[in-house]
Amino acid sequence: MIVRRARWGAAGAAAEGERGAVPYEYLEHQADIGLEATGATLEEALSDGVTGLLHLLVDVETVEPREEVPVQASADDPGALFVSLLNAVLAAIDLHGMFFREFRLIRVEQEDGQWVAEGVLAGEPIDLGRHAVEIEVKAATYGGFLAEHTGQGWRFRCVLDL
Amino acid sequence: MSVKALVRKIHDYLFEIPPQGRMRVPARLFIDERALRELTEQSSQEWNALEQLKNVATLPGIQKAAMAMADIHPGYGFPIGGVAAFDPKEGVISVAGVGFDINCGVRCLRTTLFRKDLEGKEEQLADTMYQVIPAGLGSTGELKLNTKEIDRVLREGAHYAVSLGYGREDDLTYIEETGRLPDADPSVVSNTAKQRQLAQVGTLGSGNHYVEVQVVDQIYDAEAAEAYGLELGQIVIMLHTGSRALGHQIGTDYLPFLDKATKKYGIEVPDRELVCAPIDSPEGRQYYRAVMAGANCAFANRQVLAHLVREAFWKALRVPDTAIETLYEVAHNTVKFEVHEVDGERKRLLVHRKGSTRAFGPGRPELPERYRQVGQPVLVGGTMGTASYILRGTEQGMRETFGTALHGAGRAKSRRAAKKAYPADEIVRRLREQGIIVRAHGKASISEEAPGAYKDVDHVVDVMCKAGIVARVARLRPIICLKG
Repeated sequence: MIVRRARWGAAGAAAEGERGAVPYEYLEHQADIGLEATGATLEEALSDGVTGLLHLLVDVETVEPREEVPVQASADDPGALFVSLLNAVLAAIDLHGMFFREFRLIRVEQEDGQWVAEGVLAGEPIDLGRHAVEIEVKAATYGGFLAEHTGQGWRFRCVLDL
Repeated sequence: MSVKALVRKIHDYLFEIPPQGRMRVPARLFIDERALRELTEQSSQEWNALEQLKNVATLPGIQKAAMAMADIHPGYGFPIGGVAAFDPKEGVISVAGVGFDINCGVRCLRTTLFRKDLEGKEEQLADTMYQVIPAGLGSTGELKLNTKEIDRVLREGAHYAVSLGYGREDDLTYIEETGRLPDADPSVVSNTAKQRQLAQVGTLGSGNHYVEVQVVDQIYDAEAAEAYGLELGQIVIMLHTGSRALGHQIGTDYLPFLDKATKKYGIEVPDRELVCAPIDSPEGRQYYRAVMAGANCAFANRQVLAHLVREAFWKALRVPDTAIETLYEVAHNTVKFEVHEVDGERKRLLVHRKGSTRAFGPGRPELPERYRQVGQPVLVGGTMGTASYILRGTEQGMRETFGTALHGAGRAKSRRAAKKAYPADEIVRRLREQGIIVRAHGKASISEEAPGAYKDVDHVVDVMCKAGIVARVARLRPIICLKG
């Protein structure tokens, strides 16, 4: 049984009903937190997952999308790509010293047996005086892993190590 | 069959789930009836600690039992509070058995100060600690390194920090493995991992990481307390942190790497997070060398932070750094080769400790001479409003748990539930009424880490002591708590 909880990011993504489903959800875990993302397409589900992650880290309303940085991930299968993309976003925070407000997926493709995702993160250099930090996420794990492709679209889930 | 029906009581503080299905060994829990009831109630939840422990028991080469300490709660792959030892020829090494915060651990510093020396100066000290010690998501340290220097951090651990002037040589004697693991290999750590760490050596992080100024408010074992240099009323400092972004990235990099190895070697795992490689394989050896490098990063990080604690005491109170000595440092997210007795035979094993602390008993050669006769100090962090403990390892612990004990109180409530139940301002006010000053860089870390979010540390410690795995030496009460 999973206890579902509402989003707690300040702005949140599209509300339920706007696209027919909640695009991402945080799931109860005693020590960490689960993240589940859904989308009618693979691109949507991956984007929703990244948006859910960004809203967990910081109050995105306090972050201006002034600069863009590229982010890339690759993996053997779409589910692992979801985990890998989330981890690439976490790395981008340290590598660029920035917090991010938005994510735009540019492409998802299968190349030589590998799934590759490329996107752009928009944000600004970290300013601890202005940015309302929520929680540090250490990594996206394979804990509670789920990757589902049905007639409704895609659903991904994993535990984030806090 | 319900999980409860599968559990066999060995004695009041030890329960066992005999092997079933693909379990190769039993799952053993050093808990009491109350904790067992709570765990079995949670066993229908998707992420539950009992199922995770049973899953660990299925891994190849596991010795004796998959074990959990009294602070057990759900993790990812392994439960938190878990320990599992593997035969080096038949066994595996797993990312989930170490965690992403490689070598996360606790340093305890003892001081020559007593409670009266801090009276009226607590606020000033708390403010200075807040200014001097970088903490929270997005914080950076004063130490800005290049990748060559990071390689030295990864090879030399705390020794490198000392060579840069952070702390003293005598600190190293009292760090597990003297603060440096020799098998570390920076060449198997990604450039991304190193780049992420350039400004993070000497940062506390957030979540459950903290620096706490505490007072010794009870001594249980005069002989061990004397060996550890502890007296009633004495001020000590505990700091809890790990390998920061570098460790997180090693875990991230090696998760898909071991995923491939799991398939390559045909290892069946009941949970994808339990991906692993044979210890005796190129992949297993490579991950081990990377983890050792991550561990050295954590050693260096805590060494720099210990220096910053000394700096804060000097700036706030003019306490010289010689008045603050390392009592001990021990980690609780590790994987290491150790020699233990299995079926009457001494064997070299690879021991994974995930949220559990090495707790070696008397006589072990790994311990500093000063503590060898009484056993290793075991540092158990409570919460910002409750006690912490210094325990000691026992011979029984060596026999029963590969010299392993609990690492903290163990979470009882999810972070989300805690955030809802404990408004940060209210927690800070209540703690102030108890004489505890809290400084935090984010309000979330106060709510999520509120005392009520954790199990009763006194009870959890009591269970482990009654099980004979550890023995109490001293209890510590918080005075100042700095959070990320």
